[in-house]
Amino acid sequence: MKTKTELIKFNQGLDLESGARLNTFDLMVETYGELNEDKNNAILVCHAFSGNHHAAGKSSDSDALGWWDEIIGSGKAIDTDKFFVVCSNNLGGCSGSSGPLSVNPESGKLYGKDFPLVTVTDWVNSQKLLCDHLGISKWHMVAGGSLGGMQALQWAISYPNKVKKAGVFATATRSSTQNIAMNEVGREAIRKDKNFMDGDYLNHNLKPKNGLKTARMLGHITYSSEDIMDQKFGRKFQDIKSKIEGTVDYEVENYLQYKGEKFSDTFDANSYILMTKAMDGYDASFSSNGSLEEVMKRIKAKLLVVGFDSDWLYPPKRSKEIQLAAMNVDVQCSCVILKGEQGHDSFLFASDRYVKIIKGFLDSK
Amino acid sequence: MNTSLVHIIKKWVPEKSKVIDFGCGDGSLLKDLIDEKNIRGYGVEIDHNKIQECILKGISVIEKDIDEGIQDFESCNFDVAVMASSIQCLREPHLALRKMLNLSKQCIVTLPNLGFWKCRLDLALGRMPVTPNLPSSWYETKNLHLCTIKDFETLCFEEDFVINEKFFLNDKGTKSTLASTFPNTFASEGVYLLAKK
Repeated sequence: MKTKTELIKFNQGLDLESGARLNTFDLMVETYGELNEDKNNAILVCHAFSGNHHAAGKSSDSDALGWWDEIIGSGKAIDTDKFFVVCSNNLGGCSGSSGPLSVNPESGKLYGKDFPLVTVTDWVNSQKLLCDHLGISKWHMVAGGSLGGMQALQWAISYPNKVKKAGVFATATRSSTQNIAMNEVGREAIRKDKNFMDGDYLNHNLKPKNGLKTARMLGHITYSSEDIMDQKFGRKFQDIKSKIEGTVDYEVENYLQYKGEKFSDTFDANSYILMTKAMDGYDASFSSNGSLEEVMKRIKAKLLVVGFDSDWLYPPKRSKEIQLAAMNVDVQCSCVILKGEQGHDSFLFASDRYVKIIKGFLDSK
Repeated sequence: MNTSLVHIIKKWVPEKSKVIDFGCGDGSLLKDLIDEKNIRGYGVEIDHNKIQECILKGISVIEKDIDEGIQDFESCNFDVAVMASSIQCLREPHLALRKMLNLSKQCIVTLPNLGFWKCRLDLALGRMPVTPNLPSSWYETKNLHLCTIKDFETLCFEEDFVINEKFFLNDKGTKSTLASTFPNTFASEGVYLLAKK
């Protein structure tokens, strides 16, 4: 699989939905496979909340597999022998694209907490500039799960002539009250970390690791489900030798400690707040005073909506809502609810049916 | 689906109409209607392999158990709802018919006729009927509510469904004078175009 990672500068800047403007910005972009001569085999995949541009294969600097490696690759559901796959780190992220960890070109200082609020629509607009930069006139598909699914849907709404198909997985047209509530607990954990310093921790050479860790531990509970946790860990005790914290009794505690610890080493707290705010703020119908049908009318792409039965963060009924709104306004849309072994995270994993459905959708006329 | 049936359905579905096909199978009928009559079509199916075939054909398909309710679709303003050879498999066929006519102006229903003479003969000989329209043995069939042509038309009368058109096919799947004249005995399958009063 031919893989290329590059930082692309956009000197034309971007007007954000909040009214703020980035005079210039960078996107960290990874591509897989090759763009054909007609430039009609390009697929944009959009990452979820904590993902980044590294979607498939091993990364250049480590052996870490990309977040959608089970789906993207040679002979996989999104086959890189056939398609040119593009993935960029979202603006406001912390993996190379402009965000709280980058230098504000105006002040010469790190953005930190002053990086402007970004939205799903802003991300789509920045990816549109990327699409132009790559010389692609129309994506064969834009796809993603969770927060990435929101971007795929928004692409079809914002740029109807630029998207042939949209894969909208484990997501909703807007975050639910419960989604917002969960995110707020995570943010509160970060804000109350004494190292957070009102978001100014970079200037104090500090990192609110404890807050980030707690936020991520809660996150992992929501990405999983009651049954899956039962199956995976049950009430098994953690063996003494591999305890991460002395206070740990059960395996599930150790697992959450481990995941939280790992995440807090690599993720930026201000990015965490920005990303979750973008997720909470998303409402596809916002631009038409709450009428989802009004905005869905614009869509010309064919939609594939996939929900997973064990997902309680963006449960199947949210997928069905997208399908119904599409059908109300004559947008072509299929909707399937798959058995998910991994709760909300199921969209990341290649089950037989999921792979077949994505392949079928990509191959269909 | 046999060719006479497809032919009849195509005649009844208006050009450019919005169609929902309940139990759409592999999506062949919708594909034909899209290609030939330029309809906007959606299928509802529960079988995984058939859903897969629909997606591959580019047909919009919704994975759903019709018994769990189809009232959600009432906002969609369909012109035609099709239910081919599946009404007898539903838990509550009369309620499903009512709901179909709530979400669509017209409704095409096809059903196997238990009054067909071969079925009567089978029963007279003391065994459950097995015919081209009722191919499964009693222990394998998905049919829960079999009826005769007479029964079905009585239900339509009681429920105030208007029968705009009807056709009857023999067990070779073709129209015949005998099946049209004495459908309750000689039709193997009935095809109806229904509307609300």
